[in-house]
Amino acid sequence: MMDSEKIFLLFLIVFVSISLLIVAGIVTSLIINSYPIFLRDGFSFIFKSVWNPVKEDYGILPALLGTLISSAIAISIAMPLAISLAIFSAEIAPTSVRGFINSVSDLMASLPSVIYGLWGLYVLAPILNQYIMTPLHQYLGFIPLFSTKPIPTNLFTAGVLLAIMITPFSSSIIREAYNAIPHHLKEAAYSLGMTRWEVIRTLLGYIKSAILAGAFLALGRAMGETVAVAMVVGNTFTLPRSLFDMGYTISSLIANQFPNAEAYSYMMPALYSGALVLFTIGLIINLAGLYWIRRVVTRG
Amino acid sequence: MRLNKRKIIDRLMLGIISALAIASAIPIFAIAVNVYSEGARYISLNFLIDLPPPPVGGGGGGIGPALVGTLVLVALALAIGGSIGFFTGLYLSEFSHTRLAQYTQMFLQVMVEFPTIIVGLFAYMILVAPLKRFNALAGAIALSIVIIPYIALNVREAYKSIPYTLKEAAFSLGVSAPIAYLRILLSAARRGVLTALLIGLAKAAGETAPLLLTILGTTFTYFGGLDQPINAIPLLIYNFALSPYEKWHQVAWGAAAVLLTIILAIFIVSRLIVKEVKV
Repeated sequence: MMDSEKIFLLFLIVFVSISLLIVAGIVTSLIINSYPIFLRDGFSFIFKSVWNPVKEDYGILPALLGTLISSAIAISIAMPLAISLAIFSAEIAPTSVRGFINSVSDLMASLPSVIYGLWGLYVLAPILNQYIMTPLHQYLGFIPLFSTKPIPTNLFTAGVLLAIMITPFSSSIIREAYNAIPHHLKEAAYSLGMTRWEVIRTLLGYIKSAILAGAFLALGRAMGETVAVAMVVGNTFTLPRSLFDMGYTISSLIANQFPNAEAYSYMMPALYSGALVLFTIGLIINLAGLYWIRRVVTRG
Repeated sequence: MRLNKRKIIDRLMLGIISALAIASAIPIFAIAVNVYSEGARYISLNFLIDLPPPPVGGGGGGIGPALVGTLVLVALALAIGGSIGFFTGLYLSEFSHTRLAQYTQMFLQVMVEFPTIIVGLFAYMILVAPLKRFNALAGAIALSIVIIPYIALNVREAYKSIPYTLKEAAFSLGVSAPIAYLRILLSAARRGVLTALLIGLAKAAGETAPLLLTILGTTFTYFGGLDQPINAIPLLIYNFALSPYEKWHQVAWGAAAVLLTIILAIFIVSRLIVKEVKV
């Protein structure tokens, strides 16, 4: 009897080890494959803006900036939406439709990114261009942020599409925390004669760490998203000068340039090292997110 | 006066919140409407079976090879990733006090958020580069890796949710550990486990980025073996949408309608399963 238990435990540990080995393998593969370019250029290729396969000269700065800019746009649009959606479904909407709202939100979070990309390219991008980007450029073009004459696919479009994609995910984290607030706190707030908005504001202060967690985890997703961004970001390797410039993100650079990479000796290492940079930034952001989410759990 | 001001602010803020919440849900409806209005008219039995059309001229064509490819890849990914994820999740739940479980859980939580293109780079290194050929197996492994953490973490939840008394009862029967976990307790956790597998299934069916680096997306052959290139529906949508040919754009919309239907079906089934639990 004892034996079957031990064997079963070992059996389970084999599978756990496979999971751990995969994580280790992924990290190792990034390091090994990016090693050649670190050896040749040091860290300078991160801060250079050049993509010249013929001269085997690579620098990923434009893609890195593109990743930061598009995800910054995404998170600043997504957070107000995500918080509102969470409060709406947890506090304001009639109880009978809350389940439906949450289902719709969860469905949005599980929609394949290639569908977002297709829709973003053929529906969202032209609309944004006509009704938001072109007017902004016309009337506020003197501000450097809007100085480029927009075409439909650019960093701004990528940021808006990412915002749409990450809002439900971020919202569900906030919603769960909001629903977990002890009921007596809410009652206490109302009994002080607070209006509904004042109660909501107070409770939002109470779940600050969940909001931070939602923001960080969503930011991590936005930075790593590949195909949807690759379809609407313009895929142009120049240093962005405004929000309306066509650009690259690290992940869309990999998706786009990978098919050519075999033909050159340092492009593959350059792409792997881009992935390593992306991985490192993403890891820090996600660990921060997990840290804040753990604070919610331990307090709740 | 002061009370009035507070009331006005209250109304105003509630209005803004409601408006923003509704605005954030508009895209999903817009996407569904656009995908079906653009794509549904191309769907027919032939569309699901036929080869894609040539870029110019010829008939309507279809997505046969990509559909076959997606079925092959998803089945493999679910078999590989599903079993690794399931047993990992079982360990995480039942041996959660061990240090191994705690570390593994942390790694998996980070892994869920890995950009999936990085998984593609990994699969490329271990399976494409050595074979010197894009191949279906690399794609299947990449998809397996993507879904392992989702399945493991959800299976963990499923087993965790079994009441402790039921676990005690199962073991007090004097059966061996495998029978207790995999027959008695699995039937108690079956809905949660099934949901976990469905989440993995939906993820594998819709994932694109890792496939870009592993299967190539050969357009005009069905299945040629696991060591050969293959296509998949998400990859076909990506490639055709970015092509310059109007006709391929149409096929991309049609394929998107097929994919959206698959995802919706999985989603609805998983909702029904969850609902049944509450009854």
